[in-house]
Amino acid sequence: MKTIRWAATGLLFGMLVAGSGRAANAELSGACQASGTWRTAGISVDAAAIGTEVVTIPRSDTVDWQGSVSGPPGVHHGSIWVELPPPFGSVEIDSWGGQGVTTSNSGAEEYDLPKIVPAGVEFQVVGEHVDANGTCSGSVRLRVSGGAFDSPLVYVSLLGTVGTGAGAALMLRPMFRRVAS
Amino acid sequence: MKPGKVIGTAALGFFFLLFVALDLVLFGILPLNSVMITIMPIVGLLVGGGLAAYGSKNQPAA
Repeated sequence: MKTIRWAATGLLFGMLVAGSGRAANAELSGACQASGTWRTAGISVDAAAIGTEVVTIPRSDTVDWQGSVSGPPGVHHGSIWVELPPPFGSVEIDSWGGQGVTTSNSGAEEYDLPKIVPAGVEFQVVGEHVDANGTCSGSVRLRVSGGAFDSPLVYVSLLGTVGTGAGAALMLRPMFRRVAS
Repeated sequence: MKPGKVIGTAALGFFFLLFVALDLVLFGILPLNSVMITIMPIVGLLVGGGLAAYGSKNQPAA
C-alpha cells in the first residue's frame, strides 16, 4: 500500500512539473505588426518583441492598439481569442473581416474586468489575421494584477478541494484498515 | 468488490483533482490553457476507482 501511495504522489508531482512548463511558441509570425499601450498602467506590448514574457495588466484600463500588414489586404478576416484548456477550445474576444486597401488600423479599447475574474492567472491571448498577403498570427501571455484571494472563485475552489479530499479519504479509509494479526 | 463504493470514490477522486487543478490555476502555478487541467481529473477518477477496487478486494469477508 505504501508503494502505491508513493507511486501516486510521484506521478502527480511529475505531471505537475511536466505540465507547468511554458511553451516556447512563436509570438508573431507573418508580415505584420501589432502593439498595444495601457494608458493608466503605462505598459507597452509589441507582439513581435514580447517573447514568452508574461505581462501583468491592470483590472481596468484603456488600451491604445495598432496593427499593420505589409501590403493591401484585399479580402481579409481575423479574430482574437483566449485559449482554454483542452477540450474546451477558446473564447473569442473580437473578430473582423471584409475587403480593403488600408494597411494599418488603430483604436482605443476600454475594459473593466469584473471581480469574479481571478487575478494572478496566466492566460494566453492569440490573434490571427488572414489576407491577400498571407496569414499573420501571434500570441501574448497575460495576467491580471492582484492576489489570488481577490476573486471569490478561490474560496469556492479551496472549499471544493477540502470537501472532496475529505470525502475521498473517508471513503478509502475503511478499505485500507489494518487487519489485526 | 462493492461497485457503489468504487464508483463513488472514483467520482470523488475526479472532483478532488479537478479542484486541485483549479487551485493551481487560481494561484498562478498552472496557466489557464494547461493540458494538466484536463489530465488531472481523469487521473483522479482512475486512481480513486483503482484504490477503492484494490481496497475492497483486500478487505476480509465480514
